[in-house]
Amino acid sequence: MDPFSAEGELLNIHNSFHQGQYQEVIDFDTSKLSPDNTLPAQVLKWRAQIANGQAKTVIDKLAKGNNSPDATAVKAFAFYAQGQSAVAQEEADKLVATSSENPTVQLMAGTILHATGRSDEALTLLSKHQGNLEAYEQISYSLLHSVINRTDLALKEVTAARKWAQDNLLVNIAESWVGLRVGGDKYQQAFYVFEEMAQTPSTSAAKSLIGQAVAEIHLGRLSEAEAALQQAMEKEPENVEAIANSIVLNVLSGKDVSELTSSLQSISPEHALLTDVQEKSVQFDQAATKYSVKVAS
Amino acid sequence: MQSSPSMLTKFESKSSRAKGIAFHPKRPWILVSLHSSTIQLWDYRMGTLIDRFEEHDGPVRGVDFHKTQPLFVSGGDDYKIKVWSYQSRRCLFTLNGHLDYVRTVFFHHELPWILSSSDDQTIRIWNWQNRSLICTMTGHNHYTMCAQFHPKDDLIVSASLDQSVRVWDISGLRKKHSAPTSMTFEDQMARANSNQADVFGNTDAVVKFVLEGHDRGVNWVAFHPTLPLIVSGGDDRLIKLWRMSETKAWEVDTCRGHFQNASACLFHPHQDLILSVGEDKTIRIWDLNKRTSVQSFKRENDRFWVIAAHPEINLFAAGHDNGVMVFKLERERPASAVYQNQLFYITKEKAVRSYDFSKNTESPSLVSLKKLGNPWLPPRTLSYNPAERAILVTSPADNGIYELVNLPKDASGALEPTDIKRGQGNAAIFVARNRFAVFTRATQKIDIKDLGNSVTKSIKPPPETTDIYFGGTGCLLLITSSLVALYDIQQKKQLAELAVSGVKYVVWSGDGLYAALLSKHNVTIVTKSLEQVSTLHETIRIKSAAWDDAGVLLYSTLNHIKYTLLNGDNGIVRTLDQTVYLVRVKARNVYCLDRSAKPKVLEVDPTEYRFKLALVKRNYDEMLQIIKTSSLVGQSIISYLQKKGYPEIALQFVQDPQTRFELAIECGNLDVAVETAKQLDRPQLWTRLGAEALSHGNHQIVEMTHQKRRNFDKLSFLYLSTGDGEKLARMAKIAEHRGDFTSRFQNSLYMGDVQNRVQMFQELDLYPLAFMTAKAHGLEEECQNILEASGFTEDQLSLPTMGKPLQLAKPVVPTHKSNWPVKAASHSFFEKALLGEVGAIEDDTAPTANGFDHGDATVDEATAKAGQLGEEEDEDAAGWDMGDDINVEVEPDFINVDSAETGPGSSEADIWARNSPIAADHVAGGSFETAMQLLNRQVGAANFAPLKPRFLEIYRASKTYLPATVGLPPLVNYVRRTVDEADSRKVLPIIPRDLEVIANVDLQEGYSAMRSNKLDDGLKTFKRILHCLLVNSVSSKAQVDEAKKLIATSAEYATAMAMELERRSLPTEGDDNLKRSLELSAFFTIPKLEVPHRQLALMAAMKLAFTNKNYSSALSFANRMIANGGSSRPLEQANKIKTQCERSPQDRIDIEFDQFAEFDVCASSYTPIYSGSPSTVCPFDGSKHHSQYKGHLCKVCEVCEIGAPASGIRLFIS
Repeated sequence: MDPFSAEGELLNIHNSFHQGQYQEVIDFDTSKLSPDNTLPAQVLKWRAQIANGQAKTVIDKLAKGNNSPDATAVKAFAFYAQGQSAVAQEEADKLVATSSENPTVQLMAGTILHATGRSDEALTLLSKHQGNLEAYEQISYSLLHSVINRTDLALKEVTAARKWAQDNLLVNIAESWVGLRVGGDKYQQAFYVFEEMAQTPSTSAAKSLIGQAVAEIHLGRLSEAEAALQQAMEKEPENVEAIANSIVLNVLSGKDVSELTSSLQSISPEHALLTDVQEKSVQFDQAATKYSVKVAS
Repeated sequence: MQSSPSMLTKFESKSSRAKGIAFHPKRPWILVSLHSSTIQLWDYRMGTLIDRFEEHDGPVRGVDFHKTQPLFVSGGDDYKIKVWSYQSRRCLFTLNGHLDYVRTVFFHHELPWILSSSDDQTIRIWNWQNRSLICTMTGHNHYTMCAQFHPKDDLIVSASLDQSVRVWDISGLRKKHSAPTSMTFEDQMARANSNQADVFGNTDAVVKFVLEGHDRGVNWVAFHPTLPLIVSGGDDRLIKLWRMSETKAWEVDTCRGHFQNASACLFHPHQDLILSVGEDKTIRIWDLNKRTSVQSFKRENDRFWVIAAHPEINLFAAGHDNGVMVFKLERERPASAVYQNQLFYITKEKAVRSYDFSKNTESPSLVSLKKLGNPWLPPRTLSYNPAERAILVTSPADNGIYELVNLPKDASGALEPTDIKRGQGNAAIFVARNRFAVFTRATQKIDIKDLGNSVTKSIKPPPETTDIYFGGTGCLLLITSSLVALYDIQQKKQLAELAVSGVKYVVWSGDGLYAALLSKHNVTIVTKSLEQVSTLHETIRIKSAAWDDAGVLLYSTLNHIKYTLLNGDNGIVRTLDQTVYLVRVKARNVYCLDRSAKPKVLEVDPTEYRFKLALVKRNYDEMLQIIKTSSLVGQSIISYLQKKGYPEIALQFVQDPQTRFELAIECGNLDVAVETAKQLDRPQLWTRLGAEALSHGNHQIVEMTHQKRRNFDKLSFLYLSTGDGEKLARMAKIAEHRGDFTSRFQNSLYMGDVQNRVQMFQELDLYPLAFMTAKAHGLEEECQNILEASGFTEDQLSLPTMGKPLQLAKPVVPTHKSNWPVKAASHSFFEKALLGEVGAIEDDTAPTANGFDHGDATVDEATAKAGQLGEEEDEDAAGWDMGDDINVEVEPDFINVDSAETGPGSSEADIWARNSPIAADHVAGGSFETAMQLLNRQVGAANFAPLKPRFLEIYRASKTYLPATVGLPPLVNYVRRTVDEADSRKVLPIIPRDLEVIANVDLQEGYSAMRSNKLDDGLKTFKRILHCLLVNSVSSKAQVDEAKKLIATSAEYATAMAMELERRSLPTEGDDNLKRSLELSAFFTIPKLEVPHRQLALMAAMKLAFTNKNYSSALSFANRMIANGGSSRPLEQANKIKTQCERSPQDRIDIEFDQFAEFDVCASSYTPIYSGSPSTVCPFDGSKHHSQYKGHLCKVCEVCEIGAPASGIRLFIS
C-alpha cells in the first residue's frame, strides 16, 4: 500500500510537510510507525529541519555513521542549504552515479542540480521515478521554472499524476502551480486549493496563505490578497515571499513600498525581486543612453 | 408501505377522550370537545389552555368554529346544540330538537346555518340568527354519524350506520330562505314542478345520490375542497373514494389498511392526499390518485376518533383516547443555502431556484428534483459548492438519501439533471472544494466522499450523533443530543467540544468567525473554534437565524424577528404574522423564505441593534450618525446605556431634568448638573452637586451650592482654603449682620482679625477672653481699655507666659481665581461630536491661498468643479485635434520579439511584448529596450530618465512569487490584467496605477496642491501624472479619450504652475523683473485650468496689476473674473477693483500681454504665441512652443522631443 495514501500512516506528516507546517513535521511522533515507514518519516523530518533553517543540525546529526543513500542525499541537500553548493554538487553527482533509483536521492539530488542551474540533468534524474508523487511535483516545478518554462509539458505531467493519485494534496498543489501559469478559470481553482489549506485551522501555514494571496493577486482581488498576506506575516513576520508579494501588491494598489523593500533588502538581499529590479535598472540606464534630443538645451 | 418514525408533532394535550376538533381559521387555536362533557380551547402554538366550556351534560361529540364571527357551536349526548361566544366566554343559546345524541355540528361557510347529525336518524339545519330549526332531513334508517356542507355548492353529504352515504341537494332551502323579492312567480312555478317532493312533501332538501358500498356502518364522510369527490370511512375498516357528476355518483376505489374501524377521514386541503384515522390507533395518509398508502403513524395505546385539517396552514389535528395531537405532514422549512449574493433554494414543486440579493430577482428553475425521494417528502437540506457549482440535496425518504447535482451555468427551466450521484445518508454537506461528508444515523458513520461519489475516508462520530454541519473549512460540527463537537477531517481528531443540548441548526456568520447554534428554545453563539460566546433562551420556539454583516445575529421565532449581539444583548426587531425562515440580512432588509418557499423581503429597523453594536465597539461616529438620523429615544435605551456604564451618552437622550441630573452626576458633567439643579432647585440636589463638584476641585460650583444651601460655615472655610480674603471679609460682615457670634469668631479667626475678635468678646461681656486675646496679640491699648471697663488692674491677674502671636498665613497661590484644572479629556469624543466640534474635520479643504495674497478666496470648489470640468475639457481636447490619428502605422508599432519555439518555452513576459504594441506592456515584460523604441516612435520620447521610476514600478508589479519546493527559488508567475484569459496569444500584463486611480487620486492631489498653493508639489504631481499616463494601458476606446483629456489637463496645469513658480523666483528689484513678473502673472491666467483655479490665477494677476497701477490689465482680469462667476466673495473684490480701475484704465508699466488678442503661451519660454504665428508642439502632452524650440526637450513632460515625428501614443489594443 502506498504509505501516503489516505489511510497510510505517513499521510499527516507528509501533508504537513507540503503545507509548510515544518514545526509540526519535526514534532511528529514517529515511534509508533511501522518499520517500513520509519525511514521516510525520518527523511521528512530532516527535510523539515532544513526548511526551518536548521541545516547545520542536520549535517551534524548525519555526519557520523549513517551512510544510507537517503541520509547522504539529505546531507548533500543540507550542505546546499547552507550555501556550500560545491560540496553539495559533488555529493549529488556521486549519488546519481550510484543510486539513482532511490526516491530520496532523486528528489534531493534533483533539487540540488536544479538549484545549481543543471535543470536538464535534474529532469533526467527525476524522470526515473516510479510513481513517486513528490517527483511528479518536482518535475512540474522544473517544467514551470523560468529556465525551462514549458507549461504545456507540466500540464501533461500533472494530468498523468492525477490519473493514479486522485486528489492527493501534492497533485492539487502541483496543479495549482500550473493553474497559476495557465490563468483564466484555473486561477479560481488554484485559489480554492490554497484557500482550503490556508483557512483550515489545522493546516494553515504561511506558505499556503501566500499561495492564496498570490492567487488572489492574479484574480485581481487586491484587498483580499492583502488580508491573506497580513495573516501570513502574522504567522511568519520574516517570510521572504510574503514580503516580496506584499511589495508587488502594494505597487499594484499604488502604495508606498520603500519600507517593505528595505526590510526585504535586510532579510534576503539576494531575492529575485531585488536582483531582478536591480538588473533592469541597469538595463534601463543603458537603453536610455541610446536616445537623446536633437538640440540639447 | 413505510412508516415515518415520528410525525412532526407540534402540540399534544392530555385529557379524556377527544371526540370533536375544530381549528380556528385565523388564530392558532383549536377547540376540542371531550367525552367528559368539557370543551377546551387551546392555543396550540404556545401550548396553553385558553378556556374551558362546561355546560353540556355528557360527552360532546361535535364542535365547530364560525369562519368570521367569534362564535362556535357544539353538540352532545344531551341532545343539545349549543352556540357559544368565546369572547364573552359563555353559551349564547341552546338549540333543542334532536331526540338522541348529536354526533356532528358544522357552520355553513356563508349562510347563518348550522348542520347537525344525530342518532335520531335525522339531519337538521338550524338558523342560528333567529335560532330556529329550518329543515329536517330524514331518510337514513340508522344513526347518522356525520353530515357536512359542501364547501361551495348547495349540497350536503351524510354518513350513517345504515351503511349508506347520502348526498342531499339543499338548493331549495337556500331559495326559500333568500330574499323573497328575488323569486318571481315563474321561479316558484318552476320550483314546484322541478323538485320532486319527498314523501312528506318536503322540497327543501332532497336526496340526490345514495352511495352504497360499505359493508358496515359509515362513520365519517367529507367532500373534496375543489373536486367532485367524496371520501368516507366505516366500520368495515375501509376508506372509500367516490366521484360524482351532475347526474350520478359512483365508487372510485377503496383504500385498505386500517385493521379496525375507520373513525374519520378527510381530503388534504392542498395536496392530493387522503388522511384517515381509526380505532386501530393509526393515522394513515393515502395517495389520492393511486390510492396507495403513503405514510402511517401509530400511537401506542390510543384509538383515534376524529381528524381535522386547518383550512389554510399545513396543520392537522387528531383526537384520540387521551387527548389531541396537532401535527404537520411535512417539514415546511425550505431547503436553502446562501452563497455570497445568491440564495439557492428548493421550491414546493421541487425545483431548484436561485435568488439574487443585490438585484432582488428570482431565477427561473435551474434544475428539477422531482425524482428525489418520494413525491410527498420535500428535500430537507441543500448544500452549495461554488467551486463546482454543484448542490447536495438530502431527503428523509427511504431512511435518508442524498443527491449530488451539478447546476447548469444558466437557468433554462426545470430540466431534469443529467449527471446525478446519489446514495444513502441522513445528512450530506460539502466540507471542501471537492469533498463532501455524508452521515448515516443508523450506522453512526460519516463518509467523506469525493465528487465521484467514492469514499475517501470514514469517520466514526461520537455515539448518538444526530446530525452534522459544516464546521469551517475542513471541519465538521457533529451534533449529538447533548453536545456539539468540532471535528477536523484531515487530522481525524476532535478539536473541541461544547455541551449544548438539542441543537437543530447551525448558522455561520458571513466572515466565518462565528456560528449560531439553534436549538428549540436556545441560541448559542460560538466562535469558529467552538468557544461559547453567549447564549440566550427563548420561551417561544426559535425557527431560524441569519447574520447581519456587522456581526449581529437576527433570529426568528414563531412570531418575532429578534436580534442578539455577540455579548448576548438581545431585543425584538419586529413582529411576524407568519412563520418565515431567515436567510440573509442586508442593511434594512431581512431576506427570508416563507412556508411556501417563496423569497420575501421584510423591512426592519436596525437602529436599536446597530446602536448597541456601535456602543459595544465604541464606534462613536456611527452612534452619532444613528442619533442624528433616527428617532432613538425612550426609557429603555437610556436605562440600557446607564446600566452599561455610558451615562454620558444616555445624557444626550434625556429631557427629564431629574434623570438628567442623576446622569450628569454619574458621568461628572457638572455643567449639565448645575443647569438641571437650577431648574429643580431642591436642597438635596444642591448638596449632592456640591459634594461632586468638590471632588472635581470645582470650588466655584461648590461655592454656589453652599450659597444656595446657606452653609455659611462651609462657605467661610471654602474661602479660607481657596485664599479668597475678600469674600471671607464679606462672610464676616454677614456673620456680624446675622448676629451669629460663633460664625463671626470663626471668620475673624480665619482672617486673623484680632480687633474684631476682641470687640466681639467685649460685646459678649467675655472680658477675660477679650483681654487675653488683646494681650496675646500685643494690643496694649485694648488691654488697658478692657481692664478699665472691668475695673481690674493688670497686677490682679495672673497670666500665663505667652508666646509670639501666630502670623496669619498668606495664600501663596490665589486658588480662588480659577477652578482646579481638570484634564480636557473628560469630554468624550462622543460628546464633542454632539457639540459639533468634530463635524468640521472634513470639508477642511478650504483653500488657504495666502500665497496669492488675497485674503479670502473661499472659492466653492466642490460645486464649481463638477459643473465646469466636463465643458472645459471638451474644449481642451478639441484644441489639440488629437483624436483621430491613432490608428496610423499600426504595423510598425509591433516590435518583433524573436523567440525560439523549440527548447525552453518562451516566458509569459516575452508573450506580453509580442501581444501588444503598448509600451507599458513591454515594460511589464521587462523588455525596456523595445518599450523605449515604441515610445520614441509614438511620442518622440528621447529623455527616459524621468520615466525610470515608472518603468520599475510597472516591472515590479508584474510578477508574483509563489513559494514552491523547499530549497528552490519561488515559482514566478505573471500578473495579468486579462484575468479571464487563458489563451496565451491574448494575455496582457497588469499595469499599476490605471486611469481610474490617476483620475481619482493623483489628479485630485494635484488640484488640492493648486488650491492650497503648494505649487512645487503640484508641479511634481502633474508631471508624475504625465509620466504615468505615458506608460500605461486602458481598457476601452472611451478610456483612451479620457486618458488624452487627462494628459491635456495635466499639461496645462504643469505649464501654469511652472510659470507661476518662475514668477515667484524672480528677484523683486528692478523694473525688468517687475515687468516680467506682471507678464507671467498675466500668462498664468491663460492655461485652461478649472474655473475655480483660474479664478485664483486671475485674482492673483488682478491684485498684482492693481498694486502696480496697471489698471487696464487689472480691469481686464476683473472683467474675466466676473464673467466666470462662481462664489461671491472674490467677485465682490473684482467688482470693487473694476470700479476703481474704470476711472483711469491705463497701465503704468507696459507689458507684453495683449488682453484682446488670442494667444497661447510658449511652454518653453513663457512668452505669447499669437495665433497665426508659427509654433510646434510636444508630441505627447500637446504643449505649444515657439518654433525655435523644435528639437528641444519639452519642459512640460521632460521626456519628449518637441516637434519630433510621432505616430501618437497607444494605450489600448482594440
